[in-house]
Amino acid sequence: MSAAKGEHEQSFNGLLVNGLPSLIVAAHELKSPLVLVRQLSLMLESGEVSIEDQKRMLRQISLTSERALRLTSDLTKSIRLSDALFNLEPINPQQLCEDIVRELTPLFVAHDRKVKLVSRRKPPLIVANRDLLRRIIMNFSDNALHYAEEKTAVEIQINIFNAGQTIRLGVRDYGPALLSNAVSSLSGKLVSSSSQIHARPLSSGLGLYIVGQFADAMNGQVGMTRHRDGATFYVDLQASRQLSLL
Amino acid sequence: MNGASVLIVEDDNWMAEQHARVLTGSGYKTTITLHALAAIQAIDDIHPDVIILDVLLTGSTAFALLHELQSYGDTGKIPIILCTNLATELSLDDLKSYGVKRILDKTTMKPDDLVAAVRSVLL
Repeated sequence: MSAAKGEHEQSFNGLLVNGLPSLIVAAHELKSPLVLVRQLSLMLESGEVSIEDQKRMLRQISLTSERALRLTSDLTKSIRLSDALFNLEPINPQQLCEDIVRELTPLFVAHDRKVKLVSRRKPPLIVANRDLLRRIIMNFSDNALHYAEEKTAVEIQINIFNAGQTIRLGVRDYGPALLSNAVSSLSGKLVSSSSQIHARPLSSGLGLYIVGQFADAMNGQVGMTRHRDGATFYVDLQASRQLSLL
Repeated sequence: MNGASVLIVEDDNWMAEQHARVLTGSGYKTTITLHALAAIQAIDDIHPDVIILDVLLTGSTAFALLHELQSYGDTGKIPIILCTNLATELSLDDLKSYGVKRILDKTTMKPDDLVAAVRSVLL
């Protein structure tokens, strides 16, 4: 499933003000990490925590703060996107994804999950802006971390399509498995309310809207494939023709 | 009712862990589930005395789970404490018929408030 710019805005229906994310949605997205940081801080203040727990909680506070800061930074960047020019250059996606895996590994380990790169062969260079592409993959990974089951590995995948002209960078999570008819039937009963206030904050569409904006700026497209046991969020970008022109 | 069993349904595993830490410290037995499907299985397995329920859950909402619990005589009697960022948008009067006994506002509550709420619904 690919989504063009207009579709991002449609999926974000009602959450945009003058084409930008509403303050209410943005504030709501930031509430969850702040609430967690506050609860952990209050617990630490009480002093009724073992040394081992103290270390764990301080680590959780710093990692949660970093995640919230990434969201804030992405929001700012997406709002200012139209005012800025972004250089598109040939980028080695493998190198970029390896760097992201290295950077995110502490966060995933702290959540008792793994993150790894899955790339079947040396992919061609892509035309992209390094900072925006990095933000897209980080955003997908943060989302995958939330939905992935404990002890599973989130995969950052690089695949090649259209005879090598399109490179797909995806993030695959392994969420709750729906294995039997009984569970599938139950799942049907548990479908979310259509009311926006009942939607999960991370499913409000804000993250997808932001990465959609970033992808548009690089002439790319974002999309999602739902699997029986999770989902893959991806961005399709053009392969660089630099080498073929030599 | 010291030693009572509390099921925590919360999709943020660090927040769930924090709730469990507070309750365990006060002598309660805790079980964590991260989504509604797992919660239904856990309710069948452990027959909790109290359920602490987040409203915004991965893949569904607490309200869908509340409907499911109310469909059965035994699960419909378990007291529910909603623990949510959306407390200001909810009315306890509207939710009483779903077994909801307390609503805690995550944005203002203190860790001890969770223990006080559990204690009060078990009286």
